[in-house]
Order: sequence, then structure tokens, then C-alpha cells
Amino acid sequence: MLVTLPYEMPELVTRAPLDLHTSTVLPEWVDWNGHMNLAFYVTAFDQASGAFMRNIGLGRRYVDGKHGMTFVLETHVTYDREMKGGAPMRFATQLLARDAKRVHLFHEMYHAGDGYLAATNESIIMNIDYNTRRSAPWPVQVAERLEAVWEAHKDLPKPAKAGRVMGLAKKT
Amino acid sequence: MKIPPYPLIDPSLDAPLDVHRATVLPEWIDWNGHMNVGFYVVAFDKATDTLCQQFGCSWEYTREKIGMTFVLEAHVTYDREVKEGDPLRITTQILDHDAKRLHYIHMMYHGTEGYLAATNELMLMNIDYGTRRSAPWPEWAMERIDKLAAAHASLPRPSQASRLIGIKKK
Repeated sequence: MLVTLPYEMPELVTRAPLDLHTSTVLPEWVDWNGHMNLAFYVTAFDQASGAFMRNIGLGRRYVDGKHGMTFVLETHVTYDREMKGGAPMRFATQLLARDAKRVHLFHEMYHAGDGYLAATNESIIMNIDYNTRRSAPWPVQVAERLEAVWEAHKDLPKPAKAGRVMGLAKKT
Repeated sequence: MKIPPYPLIDPSLDAPLDVHRATVLPEWIDWNGHMNVGFYVVAFDKATDTLCQQFGCSWEYTREKIGMTFVLEAHVTYDREVKEGDPLRITTQILDHDAKRLHYIHMMYHGTEGYLAATNELMLMNIDYGTRRSAPWPEWAMERIDKLAAAHASLPRPSQASRLIGIKKK
């Protein structure tokens, strides 16, 4: 387990939920239906996961310094409303669970101007050792920061769209 | 509408559908040196186009301003890394369908090494072009979806379908 990381940690944000990430729908994310393609919702959510990771100390320097990486194991998206090119997005992020090497995140994507919920995303993300490319425990400093976020988030209600199983019976 | 104003293909009734092939493009690679999570879904979405071609609701369907297909929900499992230039083979199994929706799962395999790289379960809905709201599948599509679903009916259900996401279930 990595005890210290040789770079400065950013100031930790523990707001519940976290509101660290905003973005804009890029023109190249729009498909022949004239709206953001489903895949780029995943890209946009992945960037929101990146903001979560930077907050706990795992930004680009973690990878560039060859300390480690984070891999997404599984992801679930609900597409609630269309987003057009240029639409501003804001994200709310809730930590649903964590263990020694994984986090379970829930993001909501909102249209930042009109305010509507556009999509939700639930992801399991794992810490990876840079050399073995296999799972490894969070670095100590990171685990401490993650614990502080968990303390702030653990009593939030579970989002209605979390823990969904797909099927035709569940009409959306 | 009984027939679309463009040619229809005879759907492949192999179970699962085993038509789609692709290659991991350089721009799909991220700073971890492998295909990025979003681009797995780009690759899977192209396999959805191949599926929709089987029943006549792919690009021409939208170009002719008849309809569109929107994804309502998606679930991806990332099972193993793929690198730039890797060949991909994507198979598709229909799990369920109704008058306007289609529930299916794609399995992505490394094209030569054969390992499972990822799966993508999707719920697709037919959309009327004019209203941008849900609408029943056109007749030609419904007929072909029924045939594909019948061909897939006896396949075992993949363990990755209907998964509940969570940290405890490892």
C-alpha cells in the first residue's frame, strides 16, 4: 500500500452531494438524432468521476507519476432527457459505498440552465497498481480523504434511480 | 407503414446475432493506455446500428425522417482491457421486446484472442420522428424483431444481464 504520494493534495471538499464538476456538451458528442449520443453521456460522467478522484487525491499526477490508476468495473446509465450540442451540464455526486479498493459512485447530470435532470450514472471504480495493472488498496492519504467524504455522505438518502435492474416490466 | 422507402435486408437468424466487427481506434485510447469507458459504448452503439439494420430501423430510418431509436437505459460491465488496433467481435442477444421497446445485450470479444472484453445491456425505444415521442415499431420492423427474438429465445440468459450494481457482490 502506498503510504505517501509525492505531490500536494488539493483542499478536500466534503459537501453532500459533491458539486465539483460542470461541463458543456461538445459538438462532436452529437449524433444523427441531433442530441448527445449515449456513449458521450458515459464520457461526461467519467469526467465527473475524474473530479471525484481528483478531490480524494487521484488526479493526473497519480497516473503520470506511475503510482497507480483507477479503472471502472461497471456502469449503469439512465437516460432521462435529451441534451443538445452546447448545453451546459452540472453534476451532483454521491458516494454510495466504499471499501479498501473500490468506490460506488452515483452521479446526476442536470441541464445547468434549464435545471432538468438529464441522466444518472452509477459506477464501480477500482484502484489499480500501476505496474501490475491489478487491483490494490487505496493509498493511505487517499483512504483517509475517502473516509471523510463517506462520513459526510453516508446519511444521504439512497437515490431512487440507484440499484436498478433493467427490464421491460419497469416502465420508465 | 408496411414497407420503408429503402431496401430491407434479410435478417441474420443466427443466435446470437454475430455480424458486427470493429477495430479499436487510436482516438478511443485514454491516458491509462487502453480503450476509454465512453468508447466501449461508442463501439457498442455501432453494434446497435448493425442490430437495427436487421429490422430496417438504422440510419435510413432517420434519414427518411420516419423515426429514430433512443436508448433509455444502459448497463456496461468492463471485463478486460483492449488496446489500440485490437480487433473486436460483438455478438447480440435479444432478451425481451414489446410494441415499442427492445431489451438486448451485446457481448464484446477480442476478435483473435477470443476473451470477453465487456458487455452492454440496453433498453431501446422506437421514437416517432415528428413528435420525438415513443411510438410502436413500424410493421416491417415488428415482424423482423419477432423473428429475431424467436431465434434467440432458447439461448441461455447471460449472467451479465439484469445485474444489480454494487460493491458487496464480488
